[in-house]
Amino acid sequence: MPLDIQLQKGAGQNASAVIVKLNGSLDTATAPDLEKQLAPVLAGPSKDIVFDLAQLNFISSAGLRVFSISRKALKERGGQASFMNMQPQIEAVFAIMKSLPGVAIFESVAEMDSYLAARQRAIIEGQP
Amino acid sequence: MTLELHATPAEVMRAVEALQGFAQAQGVPEKTIFGLALALEECGSNVVDHALQRDAQQKFQVSIGSSDGSFVIELRDRGPEFDPTSAAERQPEAHDDDLPGGWGIQLVRRYVDEVRYQREPGENVLRLTKRLDIPAADK
Repeated sequence: MPLDIQLQKGAGQNASAVIVKLNGSLDTATAPDLEKQLAPVLAGPSKDIVFDLAQLNFISSAGLRVFSISRKALKERGGQASFMNMQPQIEAVFAIMKSLPGVAIFESVAEMDSYLAARQRAIIEGQP
Repeated sequence: MTLELHATPAEVMRAVEALQGFAQAQGVPEKTIFGLALALEECGSNVVDHALQRDAQQKFQVSIGSSDGSFVIELRDRGPEFDPTSAAERQPEAHDDDLPGGWGIQLVRRYVDEVRYQREPGENVLRLTKRLDIPAADK
């Protein structure tokens, strides 16, 4: 069960975010690949990562661990990992694990845009 | 169905795919298949990462079957004694940023009805049982 990973830079006012689209299975065999591809992003200036999970159909604790590592790295620099378009079975795993407390889950891209816009405003206005 | 597998993550996923195909052929609902696949992935990874230390020369065995309304997955390896069910129960805490090893087995417990470990002579044997509440007409 392969995993296709696409990294895109956010556009316009969301330019500080990186969108990560996952397609397939995030498991013991594929999680190291995601971790490797995220490493330069986590080492770079981006504060926010948005994981688009619309096409993710399987996840295990190996995959959740990568999300957890990402979240921790972004949090240390005042950023955030967020998740959108989760399929029900993936959302159920997140609910069980409660592994990402305080995590933002976006219903749609529009909602994500408004979150990131609000975040940009907060940064400009010097708020945390 | 019984599979002989090398101790690698790719082989764990080969077993997971075999399970999915088998369960689909049995008419098991997709939601249940997801949970069975997750349980096998977590337990297979435990065998590969802990009992067999990712030594690809080592082998382990996965048996998959269903009878009397239950779906049974059995994992056997000849590594040192390793009981994944002994991982202490714990609740995730708000400040946890890392996922300790015990979390996988908690997921397994949520998706199957019974997790039983036995040390047999020279072998770790882990048996996962899921009751299938499928109406007869859907079988």
